[in-house]
Amino acid sequence: MVLVRIPGTLRYRDLAMRAVAAASKLVGTGDRVFDDEVVSAFGEAFNNVAIHSYRDRAGEVEIQIDVASDHLTIRLLDTGDGFDADAVRVPDLDALPESGLGLFIIRSFMDEVSYFPGSPNVLTMTKRYIAQRPDGGRS
Amino acid sequence: MIVLHTPARLEYRELAMRVVVAACRLVGGSSPMQPWGDFEHHVVSAFGEAFNNVVLHGYAQREGDLEVQLEPRHDGITMRLYDHGAGFDLGGVAEPDLDALPTSGMGLFIIRSCMDDVEYLSGAAGAPNVLTLGKRLGPSEGQRTAA
Amino acid sequence: MNCTRNDQGNETTLRIDGLLDAVSTSDIRPIIDAVVEDRRARVVVELSGLRLIDSSGVGAIVSLFKRVRAQGGEVQVVGIRDQPLAIFRLLRLDRVFSLG
Repeated sequence: MVLVRIPGTLRYRDLAMRAVAAASKLVGTGDRVFDDEVVSAFGEAFNNVAIHSYRDRAGEVEIQIDVASDHLTIRLLDTGDGFDADAVRVPDLDALPESGLGLFIIRSFMDEVSYFPGSPNVLTMTKRYIAQRPDGGRS
Repeated sequence: MIVLHTPARLEYRELAMRVVVAACRLVGGSSPMQPWGDFEHHVVSAFGEAFNNVVLHGYAQREGDLEVQLEPRHDGITMRLYDHGAGFDLGGVAEPDLDALPTSGMGLFIIRSCMDDVEYLSGAAGAPNVLTLGKRLGPSEGQRTAA
Repeated sequence: MNCTRNDQGNETTLRIDGLLDAVSTSDIRPIIDAVVEDRRARVVVELSGLRLIDSSGVGAIVSLFKRVRAQGGEVQVVGIRDQPLAIFRLLRLDRVFSLG
């Protein structure tokens, strides 16, 4: 497992994104879409911590990354304000919303997402990779 | 402070290097990140050699972990590497004879050349080895170039 | 993130390069505000150099689109690819901006 612990502020976002991008490449899919979707989802998760969870105070975020040959699991732990994930509505995309899209992006790009508010709040997200066999079937 | 725990394996080197690059760009305050030139190259070069030393010599193929603590400041950066592999005697490592075009043994030379401060504490009785590397921003490196 | 504005006739081209995310979106807001203030009739957002976007960045571009449209103008997005295109598709903005 790789662990990165940093202040939960936007100043450290680039560093966290780079670590996650490098970890995604270690899954070894060679699939740019896979890496892009992981980084996109993680970026939203980090924003949630930096902008919402630690809205009115400073704190750290711990990022745990498990790299496997067929999946990547990322866990974000923070001690800021949690939220009720079930209460977050799917945005009405036709209304061209300018915010409230973060969790939608996370859920769309990752295969499993769970969130437990508490001390710490723990967001766990997993993305699986199913290799395409040369005959077009899935191995 | 930035903390990174990683398996001490070469395939994680790229990840660790990227974190160090990002940490370099936090040096100097809050102005926008721009290419850092020599400062970043030196810090990354030194870190890469230090990472190699831990993986190849410290653990010598054994499984192990490396903890890296990075402290970017307005005037420089301090990196600390903690490992539980075999330690070494920093003072006992001779400078390579570059005229003889050596093909190995240059790691510590590169580290010393690139960093301002190099300290090493060989761990004993379960304590980790600690390599501390410090570098200050030079006057010429304080100027951020335009993107 | 780097953003350049170029006006030609009634058309403004905004070229946004690099990362448009929660960190850099605040830098682009004043540029967008100025374009809206100037009541530009046609705005082309050139994103071929945009490497990464997040929901904050999307919010800024959608805000530009809505405000220019409300003034009777039009906004076109061109050159978008890779991760930013994937996000636009996910949020069904490819239809709004007629992206391929």
